[in-house]
Amino acid sequence: MTGVPLNIDFQQILLHLLNFAILFFVLYLILYKPVRKFIDQRNAKYKELDDQAKANLEASEKAKVEYLYKMENAEKEAAAAKVKAMDEANEYAKERVNAAHAEAERIIANAQNMAEAERDKIIAEAGQQIEDLAKEAAKKAIFENTSEAMDSFLDAVEEK
Amino acid sequence: MEKKKKTRFFIIFAFIFAILIVGIILTGNLLPEAPHEEISVAMKDAVLHETFKINLFGLQVNPAVISAFVVSGILIIAAIVIRIFVIPKFTIIPGKFQMLLEQGVELFSNMAKENSPHCHSFIGGYIFVAGAYICIGTLFELLGLQASTTVGTSIALPAPLADINGAITMGCLTFLVIMGGGIARNGLKGLGKALKEFSLPISMSFRLFGALLSGALVTDLVYHYTLTSYVIPVFVGVIFTLLHALIQAYVLTTLASTYFGEVTEFSEKKVKVPKEKKKKIKAERA
Repeated sequence: MTGVPLNIDFQQILLHLLNFAILFFVLYLILYKPVRKFIDQRNAKYKELDDQAKANLEASEKAKVEYLYKMENAEKEAAAAKVKAMDEANEYAKERVNAAHAEAERIIANAQNMAEAERDKIIAEAGQQIEDLAKEAAKKAIFENTSEAMDSFLDAVEEK
Repeated sequence: MEKKKKTRFFIIFAFIFAILIVGIILTGNLLPEAPHEEISVAMKDAVLHETFKINLFGLQVNPAVISAFVVSGILIIAAIVIRIFVIPKFTIIPGKFQMLLEQGVELFSNMAKENSPHCHSFIGGYIFVAGAYICIGTLFELLGLQASTTVGTSIALPAPLADINGAITMGCLTFLVIMGGGIARNGLKGLGKALKEFSLPISMSFRLFGALLSGALVTDLVYHYTLTSYVIPVFVGVIFTLLHALIQAYVLTTLASTYFGEVTEFSEKKVKVPKEKKKKIKAERA
Protein backbone atom coordinates (compact mmCIF):
# COMPACT_ATOMS: atom_id res chain seq x y z
CA MET A 1 0.00 0.00 0.00
CA THR A 2 1.31 3.40 -0.91
CA GLY A 3 1.38 6.30 1.48
CA VAL A 4 -1.35 8.14 -0.36
CA PRO A 5 -4.85 7.33 0.92
CA LEU A 6 -7.49 5.62 -1.25
CA ASN A 7 -4.73 4.03 -3.32
CA ILE A 8 -4.30 7.21 -5.35
CA ASP A 9 -1.41 6.63 -7.73
CA PHE A 10 -0.02 9.54 -9.76
CA GLN A 11 1.51 7.24 -12.34
CA GLN A 12 -1.92 5.74 -13.02
CA ILE A 13 -3.51 9.17 -13.09
CA LEU A 14 -1.02 10.13 -15.80
CA LEU A 15 -1.81 6.91 -17.67
CA HIS A 16 -5.51 7.76 -17.55
CA LEU A 17 -4.69 11.30 -18.65
CA LEU A 18 -2.63 10.08 -21.61
CA ASN A 19 -5.40 7.68 -22.56
CA PHE A 20 -8.06 10.40 -22.45
CA ALA A 21 -5.87 12.90 -24.30
CA ILE A 22 -5.40 10.45 -27.18
CA LEU A 23 -9.11 9.64 -27.16
CA PHE A 24 -10.07 13.32 -27.17
CA PHE A 25 -7.65 14.16 -29.97
CA VAL A 26 -8.87 11.33 -32.21
CA LEU A 27 -12.58 11.62 -31.51
CA TYR A 28 -12.62 15.42 -31.78
CA LEU A 29 -10.77 15.43 -35.09
CA ILE A 30 -12.23 12.45 -36.90
CA LEU A 31 -15.75 12.24 -35.50
CA TYR A 32 -17.01 15.42 -33.82
CA LYS A 33 -15.62 17.98 -36.27
CA PRO A 34 -16.66 16.30 -39.55
CA VAL A 35 -20.18 15.61 -38.27
CA ARG A 36 -20.46 19.17 -36.90
CA LYS A 37 -19.17 20.53 -40.23
CA PHE A 38 -21.72 18.52 -42.17
CA ILE A 39 -24.56 19.69 -39.90
CA ASP A 40 -23.40 23.32 -40.21
CA GLN A 41 -23.19 23.08 -43.99
CA ARG A 42 -26.66 21.60 -44.18
CA ASN A 43 -28.05 24.26 -41.83
CA ALA A 44 -26.40 26.96 -43.97
CA LYS A 45 -27.94 25.44 -47.09
CA TYR A 46 -31.39 25.30 -45.48
CA LYS A 47 -30.97 28.88 -44.28
CA GLU A 48 -30.03 29.97 -47.79
CA LEU A 49 -33.08 28.18 -49.21
CA ASP A 50 -35.24 29.73 -46.52
CA ASP A 51 -33.89 33.21 -47.25
CA GLN A 52 -34.41 32.66 -50.96
CA ALA A 53 -37.97 31.50 -50.38
CA LYS A 54 -38.62 34.53 -48.16
CA ALA A 55 -37.18 36.86 -50.82
CA ASN A 56 -39.29 35.20 -53.50
CA LEU A 57 -42.38 35.49 -51.34
CA GLU A 58 -41.64 39.14 -50.69
CA ALA A 59 -41.11 39.79 -54.41
CA SER A 60 -44.33 38.01 -55.31
CA GLU A 61 -46.23 40.00 -52.65
CA LYS A 62 -44.78 43.19 -54.11
CA ALA A 63 -45.68 42.11 -57.65
CA LYS A 64 -49.19 41.27 -56.46
CA VAL A 65 -49.62 44.73 -54.93
CA GLU A 66 -48.28 46.33 -58.11
CA TYR A 67 -50.60 44.19 -60.23
CA LEU A 68 -53.61 45.11 -58.12
CA TYR A 69 -52.65 48.79 -58.34
CA LYS A 70 -52.21 48.52 -62.09
CA MET A 71 -55.52 46.67 -62.44
CA GLU A 72 -57.29 49.35 -60.47
CA ASN A 73 -55.67 52.07 -62.61
CA ALA A 74 -56.44 50.17 -65.80
CA GLU A 75 -60.09 49.89 -64.81
CA LYS A 76 -60.21 53.60 -64.10
CA GLU A 77 -58.43 54.39 -67.37
CA ALA A 78 -60.72 52.06 -69.30
CA ALA A 79 -63.78 53.72 -67.78
CA ALA A 80 -62.41 57.18 -68.62
CA ALA A 81 -61.53 56.09 -72.17
CA LYS A 82 -65.01 54.62 -72.57
CA VAL A 83 -66.62 57.88 -71.46
CA LYS A 84 -64.30 59.84 -73.76
CA ALA A 85 -65.05 57.53 -76.71
CA MET A 86 -68.76 57.78 -76.02
CA ASP A 87 -68.51 61.59 -75.97
CA GLU A 88 -66.48 61.62 -79.17
CA ALA A 89 -68.92 59.23 -80.82
CA ASN A 90 -71.87 61.36 -79.75
CA GLU A 91 -70.12 64.45 -81.02
CA TYR A 92 -69.29 62.78 -84.29
CA ALA A 93 -72.83 61.48 -84.70
CA LYS A 94 -74.19 64.93 -83.97
CA GLU A 95 -71.84 66.43 -86.55
CA ARG A 96 -72.82 63.77 -89.06
CA VAL A 97 -76.52 64.38 -88.41
CA ASN A 98 -76.05 68.13 -88.79
CA ALA A 99 -74.05 67.61 -91.95
CA ALA A 100 -76.73 65.25 -93.26
CA HIS A 101 -79.41 67.81 -92.41
CA ALA A 102 -77.43 70.54 -94.21
CA GLU A 103 -76.87 68.24 -97.21
CA ALA A 104 -80.54 67.34 -97.29
CA GLU A 105 -81.55 70.97 -97.10
CA ARG A 106 -79.08 71.79 -99.87
CA ILE A 107 -80.38 68.90 -102.01
CA ILE A 108 -83.97 69.96 -101.41
CA ALA A 109 -83.12 73.56 -102.23
CA ASN A 110 -81.36 72.46 -105.41
CA ALA A 111 -84.25 70.23 -106.33
CA GLN A 112 -86.68 73.05 -105.72
CA ASN A 113 -84.56 75.39 -107.81
CA MET A 114 -84.27 72.84 -110.58
CA ALA A 115 -88.00 72.10 -110.44
CA GLU A 116 -88.80 75.79 -110.58
CA ALA A 117 -86.41 76.25 -113.50
CA GLU A 118 -87.95 73.24 -115.25
CA ARG A 119 -91.43 74.58 -114.64
CA ASP A 120 -90.48 78.01 -115.90
CA LYS A 121 -88.90 76.39 -118.91
CA ILE A 122 -91.98 74.25 -119.57
CA ILE A 123 -94.25 77.21 -119.10
CA ALA A 124 -92.08 79.25 -121.44
CA GLU A 125 -92.08 76.44 -124.01
CA ALA A 126 -95.81 75.95 -123.65
CA GLY A 127 -96.35 79.70 -124.10
CA GLN A 128 -94.16 79.59 -127.21
CA GLN A 129 -96.06 76.64 -128.58
CA ILE A 130 -99.39 78.27 -127.84
CA GLU A 131 -98.11 81.37 -129.51
CA ASP A 132 -96.99 79.33 -132.50
CA LEU A 133 -100.30 77.50 -132.68
CA ALA A 134 -102.18 80.73 -132.33
CA LYS A 135 -100.18 82.20 -135.17
CA GLU A 136 -100.81 79.12 -137.32
CA ALA A 137 -104.47 79.18 -136.49
CA ALA A 138 -104.68 82.81 -137.34
CA LYS A 139 -103.06 82.07 -140.64
CA LYS A 140 -105.51 79.32 -141.39
CA ALA A 141 -108.41 81.44 -140.37
CA ILE A 142 -107.41 84.03 -142.76
CA PHE A 143 -107.13 81.62 -145.64
CA GLU A 144 -109.89 79.03 -144.79
CA ASN A 145 -113.24 79.37 -143.14
CA THR A 146 -113.48 80.09 -139.64
CA SER A 147 -115.04 76.76 -138.57
CA GLU A 148 -112.46 74.63 -140.19
CA ALA A 149 -109.91 76.87 -138.80
CA MET A 150 -111.44 76.53 -135.39
CA ASP A 151 -111.53 72.74 -135.70
CA SER A 152 -108.02 72.49 -136.85
CA PHE A 153 -107.06 74.80 -134.04
CA LEU A 154 -108.82 72.63 -131.48
CA ASP A 155 -107.37 69.44 -132.96
CA ALA A 156 -103.98 70.93 -132.80
CA VAL A 157 -104.48 71.90 -129.19
CA GLU A 158 -105.73 68.40 -128.33
CA GLU A 159 -102.81 66.78 -130.00
CA LYS A 160 -100.44 68.86 -128.03
CA MET B 1 -50.35 -21.20 -27.60
CA GLU B 2 -53.16 -23.46 -26.40
CA LYS B 3 -53.97 -23.68 -22.73
CA LYS B 4 -52.83 -27.33 -22.44
CA LYS B 5 -49.51 -26.59 -24.10
CA LYS B 6 -48.98 -23.61 -21.84
CA THR B 7 -49.63 -25.66 -18.73
CA ARG B 8 -47.27 -28.40 -19.96
CA PHE B 9 -44.56 -25.83 -20.67
CA PHE B 10 -44.82 -24.33 -17.19
CA ILE B 11 -44.78 -27.75 -15.51
CA ILE B 12 -41.61 -28.76 -17.41
CA PHE B 13 -39.97 -25.44 -16.63
CA ALA B 14 -40.83 -25.70 -12.90
CA PHE B 15 -39.50 -29.28 -12.85
CA ILE B 16 -36.16 -28.30 -14.41
CA PHE B 17 -35.93 -25.33 -12.04
CA ALA B 18 -36.60 -27.55 -9.01
CA ILE B 19 -34.01 -30.12 -10.15
CA LEU B 20 -31.41 -27.40 -10.57
CA ILE B 21 -32.11 -26.00 -7.09
CA VAL B 22 -31.86 -29.47 -5.53
CA GLY B 23 -28.67 -30.14 -7.49
CA ILE B 24 -27.11 -26.90 -6.31
CA ILE B 25 -27.96 -27.66 -2.69
CA LEU B 26 -26.79 -31.28 -2.83
CA THR B 27 -23.55 -30.59 -4.67
CA GLY B 28 -22.58 -27.76 -2.36
CA ASN B 29 -20.40 -29.97 -0.14
CA LEU B 30 -18.98 -32.24 -2.84
CA LEU B 31 -16.01 -30.07 -3.71
CA PRO B 32 -13.49 -28.84 -1.18
CA GLU B 33 -14.63 -25.50 0.04
CA ALA B 34 -12.93 -22.57 -1.69
CA PRO B 35 -11.29 -20.02 0.54
CA HIS B 36 -14.18 -17.79 1.55
CA GLU B 37 -13.66 -14.13 0.92
CA GLU B 38 -15.16 -11.85 3.50
CA ILE B 39 -17.61 -9.30 2.11
CA SER B 40 -15.72 -6.50 3.79
CA VAL B 41 -12.51 -7.58 2.08
CA ALA B 42 -14.21 -7.90 -1.32
CA MET B 43 -15.78 -4.48 -1.02
CA LYS B 44 -12.59 -2.88 0.19
CA ASP B 45 -10.77 -4.30 -2.80
CA ALA B 46 -13.52 -3.06 -5.11
CA VAL B 47 -12.95 0.43 -3.73
CA LEU B 48 -9.18 0.52 -3.38
CA HIS B 49 -7.95 -2.04 -5.95
CA GLU B 50 -5.02 -2.90 -3.70
CA THR B 51 -4.98 -6.66 -4.07
CA PHE B 52 -5.27 -7.37 -7.79
CA LYS B 53 -2.97 -5.62 -10.22
CA ILE B 54 -2.40 -6.18 -13.91
CA ASN B 55 0.93 -6.07 -15.66
CA LEU B 56 1.08 -3.40 -18.36
CA PHE B 57 4.45 -3.37 -20.12
CA GLY B 58 6.20 -3.93 -16.80
CA LEU B 59 4.02 -1.50 -14.84
CA GLN B 60 1.66 -2.88 -12.21
CA VAL B 61 -1.60 -1.06 -12.77
CA ASN B 62 -5.17 -1.28 -11.55
CA PRO B 63 -7.61 -3.17 -13.80
CA ALA B 64 -9.40 0.11 -14.50
CA VAL B 65 -6.38 1.39 -16.43
CA ILE B 66 -6.66 -1.59 -18.77
CA SER B 67 -10.41 -0.92 -19.01
CA ALA B 68 -9.67 2.69 -19.93
CA PHE B 69 -7.32 1.64 -22.73
CA VAL B 70 -9.75 -0.99 -24.01
CA VAL B 71 -12.67 1.49 -23.99
CA SER B 72 -10.55 4.11 -25.77
CA GLY B 73 -9.42 1.51 -28.29
CA ILE B 74 -13.03 0.51 -28.99
CA LEU B 75 -14.09 4.15 -29.36
CA ILE B 76 -11.15 5.06 -31.60
CA ILE B 77 -11.66 2.06 -33.88
CA ALA B 78 -15.38 2.83 -34.09
CA ALA B 79 -14.60 6.49 -34.87
CA ILE B 80 -12.13 5.54 -37.62
CA VAL B 81 -14.61 3.10 -39.18
CA ILE B 82 -17.36 5.72 -39.05
CA ARG B 83 -15.04 8.38 -40.51
CA ILE B 84 -13.99 6.16 -43.41
CA PHE B 85 -17.18 4.32 -44.24
CA VAL B 86 -20.09 6.34 -42.90
CA ILE B 87 -19.35 10.09 -42.90
CA PRO B 88 -18.46 10.32 -46.63
CA LYS B 89 -21.88 8.79 -47.41
CA PHE B 90 -23.81 11.33 -45.34
CA THR B 91 -26.93 12.56 -47.13
CA ILE B 92 -29.06 15.67 -46.73
CA ILE B 93 -31.96 13.51 -45.59
CA PRO B 94 -30.30 11.38 -42.91
CA GLY B 95 -30.68 7.65 -42.48
CA LYS B 96 -31.08 5.96 -39.09
CA PHE B 97 -27.38 5.70 -38.20
CA GLN B 98 -26.58 9.17 -39.53
CA MET B 99 -29.47 10.51 -37.47
CA LEU B 100 -28.06 8.78 -34.36
CA LEU B 101 -24.60 10.29 -34.94
CA GLU B 102 -25.97 13.75 -35.64
CA GLN B 103 -28.20 13.60 -32.57
CA GLY B 104 -25.23 12.58 -30.42
CA VAL B 105 -23.07 15.41 -31.70
CA GLU B 106 -25.87 17.98 -31.59
CA LEU B 107 -26.90 16.99 -28.06
CA PHE B 108 -23.50 18.04 -26.68
CA SER B 109 -23.00 20.85 -29.14
CA ASN B 110 -26.34 22.42 -28.20
CA MET B 111 -25.63 21.86 -24.50
CA ALA B 112 -22.36 23.78 -24.94
CA LYS B 113 -24.15 26.54 -26.87
CA GLU B 114 -26.83 26.89 -24.20
CA ASN B 115 -24.53 26.83 -21.19
CA SER B 116 -21.58 28.65 -22.71
CA PRO B 117 -22.95 30.94 -25.44
CA HIS B 118 -19.79 33.08 -25.63
CA CYS B 119 -17.34 30.30 -26.42
CA HIS B 120 -18.72 26.87 -27.22
CA SER B 121 -16.71 25.40 -30.07
CA PHE B 122 -14.02 23.66 -27.97
CA ILE B 123 -16.13 22.79 -24.95
CA GLY B 124 -18.74 21.20 -27.26
CA GLY B 125 -16.08 18.79 -28.53
CA TYR B 126 -14.71 18.18 -25.04
CA ILE B 127 -18.05 17.28 -23.48
CA PHE B 128 -18.89 15.12 -26.49
CA VAL B 129 -15.75 13.02 -25.96
CA ALA B 130 -16.08 13.05 -22.17
CA GLY B 131 -19.77 12.05 -22.36
CA ALA B 132 -19.02 9.22 -24.80
CA TYR B 133 -16.11 8.03 -22.64
CA ILE B 134 -18.10 8.02 -19.39
CA CYS B 135 -21.17 6.43 -20.96
CA ILE B 136 -19.39 3.71 -22.96
CA GLY B 137 -16.83 3.20 -20.18
CA THR B 138 -19.55 2.56 -17.63
CA LEU B 139 -21.47 0.24 -19.96
CA PHE B 140 -18.21 -1.57 -20.64
CA GLU B 141 -18.33 -3.31 -17.24
CA LEU B 142 -21.48 -5.12 -18.39
CA LEU B 143 -19.31 -7.10 -20.84
CA GLY B 144 -17.44 -8.65 -17.94
CA LEU B 145 -14.20 -9.05 -19.94
CA GLN B 146 -11.62 -11.02 -17.98
CA ALA B 147 -8.00 -10.10 -17.47
CA SER B 148 -5.16 -11.98 -15.83
CA THR B 149 -3.79 -10.48 -12.62
CA THR B 150 -0.18 -10.51 -11.45
CA VAL B 151 -1.05 -13.22 -8.92
CA GLY B 152 -2.38 -15.46 -11.67
CA THR B 153 -6.09 -15.14 -11.01
CA SER B 154 -8.56 -13.68 -13.46
CA ILE B 155 -10.53 -10.54 -12.81
CA ALA B 156 -13.51 -8.92 -14.56
CA LEU B 157 -12.50 -5.55 -15.95
CA PRO B 158 -14.40 -2.78 -14.14
CA ALA B 159 -15.56 0.58 -15.49
CA PRO B 160 -12.55 2.91 -15.99
CA LEU B 161 -14.08 5.50 -13.67
CA ALA B 162 -14.80 2.99 -10.90
CA ASP B 163 -11.12 3.51 -10.04
CA ILE B 164 -10.35 6.62 -8.01
CA ASN B 165 -7.40 7.42 -10.29
CA GLY B 166 -9.62 7.45 -13.40
CA ALA B 167 -12.23 9.60 -11.66
CA ILE B 168 -9.58 12.05 -10.40
CA THR B 169 -8.21 12.30 -13.95
CA MET B 170 -11.63 13.19 -15.37
CA GLY B 171 -12.43 15.68 -12.58
CA CYS B 172 -9.07 17.44 -12.68
CA LEU B 173 -8.84 17.48 -16.47
CA THR B 174 -12.30 19.00 -16.69
CA PHE B 175 -11.28 21.65 -14.17
CA LEU B 176 -8.11 22.35 -16.17
CA VAL B 177 -10.18 22.72 -19.34
CA ILE B 178 -12.49 25.17 -17.55
CA MET B 179 -9.55 27.11 -16.16
CA GLY B 180 -7.81 27.12 -19.56
CA GLY B 181 -10.97 28.48 -21.19
CA GLY B 182 -11.18 31.22 -18.55
CA ILE B 183 -7.56 32.25 -19.06
CA ALA B 184 -7.83 32.17 -22.87
CA ARG B 185 -10.96 34.29 -22.83
CA ASN B 186 -10.60 36.61 -19.86
CA GLY B 187 -6.94 36.37 -18.84
CA LEU B 188 -6.28 36.71 -15.13
CA LYS B 189 -9.91 37.48 -14.42
CA GLY B 190 -10.87 34.16 -15.98
CA LEU B 191 -8.23 32.41 -13.88
CA GLY B 192 -9.65 34.09 -10.77
CA LYS B 193 -13.15 33.03 -11.66
CA ALA B 194 -12.02 29.44 -12.19
CA LEU B 195 -10.01 29.35 -8.95
CA LYS B 196 -13.05 30.55 -7.04
CA GLU B 197 -14.48 27.10 -7.76
CA PHE B 198 -11.44 25.41 -6.21
CA SER B 199 -13.58 22.55 -4.87
CA LEU B 200 -14.78 21.67 -8.36
CA PRO B 201 -12.10 19.08 -9.26
CA ILE B 202 -12.58 17.28 -5.95
CA SER B 203 -16.37 17.31 -6.14
CA MET B 204 -16.35 16.18 -9.78
CA SER B 205 -13.85 13.40 -9.16
CA PHE B 206 -15.57 11.99 -6.10
CA ARG B 207 -19.03 12.36 -7.60
CA LEU B 208 -17.98 10.21 -10.54
CA PHE B 209 -16.08 7.76 -8.40
CA GLY B 210 -18.81 7.43 -5.77
CA ALA B 211 -21.65 7.11 -8.26
CA LEU B 212 -19.97 4.46 -10.37
CA LEU B 213 -18.62 2.60 -7.38
CA SER B 214 -21.96 2.51 -5.59
CA GLY B 215 -23.47 0.45 -8.40
CA ALA B 216 -20.54 -1.93 -8.38
CA LEU B 217 -20.67 -2.29 -4.59
CA VAL B 218 -24.40 -2.99 -4.52
CA THR B 219 -23.99 -5.58 -7.28
CA ASP B 220 -21.05 -7.17 -5.39
CA LEU B 221 -23.10 -7.24 -2.23
CA VAL B 222 -26.03 -8.90 -3.96
CA TYR B 223 -23.75 -11.45 -5.61
CA HIS B 224 -22.00 -12.29 -2.37
CA TYR B 225 -24.94 -14.06 -0.71
CA THR B 226 -26.30 -17.27 -2.24
CA LEU B 227 -29.91 -16.35 -1.60
CA THR B 228 -29.71 -13.08 -3.51
CA SER B 229 -27.31 -14.24 -6.20
CA TYR B 230 -30.06 -15.61 -8.51
CA VAL B 231 -31.85 -13.37 -11.01
CA ILE B 232 -31.64 -10.26 -8.78
CA PRO B 233 -28.05 -9.31 -9.74
CA VAL B 234 -29.06 -9.28 -13.41
CA PHE B 235 -31.57 -6.50 -12.78
CA VAL B 236 -29.58 -4.71 -10.08
CA GLY B 237 -26.29 -4.75 -12.00
CA VAL B 238 -27.75 -3.82 -15.38
CA ILE B 239 -30.06 -1.13 -14.07
CA PHE B 240 -27.40 0.49 -11.88
CA THR B 241 -24.89 0.41 -14.73
CA LEU B 242 -27.30 1.85 -17.28
CA LEU B 243 -28.51 4.59 -14.96
CA HIS B 244 -25.00 5.58 -13.91
CA ALA B 245 -23.78 5.57 -17.51
CA LEU B 246 -26.44 8.06 -18.55
CA ILE B 247 -26.69 10.12 -15.36
CA GLN B 248 -22.95 10.59 -14.82
CA ALA B 249 -22.31 11.44 -18.47
CA TYR B 250 -25.10 14.02 -18.30
CA VAL B 251 -24.00 15.47 -14.94
CA LEU B 252 -20.33 15.89 -15.82
CA THR B 253 -21.00 17.37 -19.25
CA THR B 254 -23.62 19.79 -17.90
CA LEU B 255 -21.35 20.91 -15.05
CA ALA B 256 -18.35 21.29 -17.35
CA SER B 257 -20.25 23.37 -19.92
CA THR B 258 -21.94 25.51 -17.23
CA TYR B 259 -18.71 26.35 -15.40
CA PHE B 260 -16.94 26.88 -18.73
CA GLY B 261 -19.71 29.33 -19.68
CA GLU B 262 -19.29 31.18 -16.38
CA VAL B 263 -15.54 31.65 -16.63
CA THR B 264 -15.55 32.54 -20.33
CA GLU B 265 -18.31 35.12 -19.94
CA PHE B 266 -16.91 38.45 -21.10
CA SER B 267 -16.82 40.88 -18.17
CA GLU B 268 -17.32 44.51 -19.13
CA LYS B 269 -14.71 46.92 -17.84
CA LYS B 270 -15.96 49.63 -15.50
CA VAL B 271 -15.66 53.00 -17.15
CA LYS B 272 -13.76 55.36 -14.88
CA VAL B 273 -15.46 58.71 -14.50
CA PRO B 274 -13.00 61.59 -14.01
CA LYS B 275 -13.16 63.34 -10.63
CA GLU B 276 -14.06 66.70 -12.18
CA LYS B 277 -16.99 65.14 -14.00
CA LYS B 278 -18.10 63.49 -10.77
CA LYS B 279 -18.03 66.85 -9.01
CA LYS B 280 -20.03 68.40 -11.84
CA ILE B 281 -22.67 65.70 -11.64
CA LYS B 282 -22.89 66.13 -7.87
CA ALA B 283 -23.23 69.87 -8.26
CA GLU B 284 -25.95 69.47 -10.87
CA ARG B 285 -27.85 67.10 -8.61
CA ALA B 286 -27.51 69.43 -5.69
